[in-house]
Parts: sequence; structure tokens; C-alpha cells
Amino acid sequence: MSKSRPPLPLTAAVFHILLALFGKERHGYDIMQQVKADSGDAVKMGPGTLYGSLDRMIEAGLVAKGNTQDPRRIYYRLTALGQATLRAETERLSRAALVARRQLGKRVTP
Amino acid sequence: MTRPARQKESQSLRLYARLLELYPPAFLQRHRAEMLQNFADLENAASSKAALWLLIGKDLAMSLIAYFFGSRLGHYVIAVLFAWILLFVIGYFFYGPTPGRPALHVFPGFLLGMLSIYIATRLYGTPQSSAYVIGVLVASILLFTIGYLRYGGTPGHPMLQVFGGLLLGMLSMSIAIRVYGMP
Repeated sequence: MSKSRPPLPLTAAVFHILLALFGKERHGYDIMQQVKADSGDAVKMGPGTLYGSLDRMIEAGLVAKGNTQDPRRIYYRLTALGQATLRAETERLSRAALVARRQLGKRVTP
Repeated sequence: MTRPARQKESQSLRLYARLLELYPPAFLQRHRAEMLQNFADLENAASSKAALWLLIGKDLAMSLIAYFFGSRLGHYVIAVLFAWILLFVIGYFFYGPTPGRPALHVFPGFLLGMLSIYIATRLYGTPQSSAYVIGVLVASILLFTIGYLRYGGTPGHPMLQVFGGLLLGMLSMSIAIRVYGMP
């Protein structure tokens, strides 16, 4: 299992899954609904995409399984590496947004 | 198989359970129960069947393509497709953009042949003994016979080329699956 931080930028799916799991264990359907809400309906993922991404994220050490009592409702949670990666990606996106706002000549609010 | 917590299984859920067989067995072993439950939840919340199947169809296509092309068998298929592109480019430089060149007819047959063997192997395990492959062959022969009777035994007839491509594609994928294994 690779425990080094995955290279940034993250894909939209991975970023939103990390965000959905921040501070709360969730099962698959709950993750999908949270991703849909967080992205304002821009990222809609189905079961195949979700569980494929979760497998890769578990392999990378970003996510771990939580409650596995019911095989139909397995819960997933963020690891410390997952939290650090989410923060790093958020910082990167913020810097990119700041530069973009400057380039577009819009007023930047701190 | 652990089924979702619902009183009655819908036809859509049964169809989805069948489509799940297209995923690699190791992946299904980990997630089948979750995916079926997930589908049942999506079905309950969907505004219409069309919206549900639009999401699921896109998801199936994208995730299966990602799995397939990430595997050794997928890399082989990419190499084969590059070889075909090279063949088209060479043909273009030698003969120009002639419509109806044999390679153009063989190619779709070839792709169809590869795809049919892949699906048959995923669904039935052994393509050599599967009724599915025999069905595809019978349908192809029927198509070829109709074309032959309709247009006559013209040498190099497009129908013959498509059929030849189909057999070549089936053979190519069978060998590749034996060598590289299924993803």
C-alpha cells in the first residue's frame, strides 16, 4: 500500500469524495448524495465510479473502511493522509482561484 | 449474494444485477452487495426510470472502460488499435482516401469480433463452449449468406470482408485472453 501523498491535482471525483468524508463516516449512497450536494449537481457519480475510486483511495491510504457489519452498508472514513491531502488540494485550488480572479480583474475578497 | 433491503426486487434491479457481471470478479466480491443496495436507493429516489438509467448507463460505460483499459488485456487492445491506425495511415498514403477500401470493412468486423468474445468470456467464462459465441457466429453466417444471395459471390465483397474481420477479431481476443487473462 502506498502511503505517500498522491500527486496533486486530484480528480474532481476524488476531491469530492474526500470532502464528503471529512468529519463523518459515510456509506456509499450517502457519499454519492453528499458529493452531489457539495458540487451543486455538477459531479454525479454512479456506483461503478464511486467504488472504483474508493478502491484506489483505500490503496493509496486516503480512505479506510469503518463500520463493516452490514455488507450492504459499508462505511468509509478519511485517514490522516486523506485529511492532509484534502487540505493541500484545497490550498492549491484557493491559490489557483486567487490567480484567476486577479487575471480576470475582479475584486478579491480575503 | 446479499440482496438489498427491499420487500420486492424490481425488474430494473434484476437487470442491474445481471449487468454487474461485466465487472471483474474480484471487484464484485468486494462491492456487489453495496452496489445493489446503492442501485435500490437510487431507484427509490429517482424522478424517472429514464433519469436513473441515464446515470447508470453512463456510470457503467465509464467505469468499465476505465477498468478494461487499465488492465494488461486493455493495453493489448490499445496496441491492436494503434496497429489498425497505422494500417489506415499507410493505406491512405499509398492509395489515397478511396472509399470502400478493404481495411475499412474489415475493421468494424474485427472490433465486433473482439467485443463479442470479451463479453462472452465475462458473462459465461469459457467462450469456446458458450452458446453466446455460437449464436454470434450463426448470426454472422446468416448475415453473410443474405449478403451473398442478394449481391452474388463477388470476390472481395464488403460483406465477406466484414465477416473475415469478425472471425479475425474473435480469434485475436481469444488468444489475448488466454495470454493476458481477464481483467
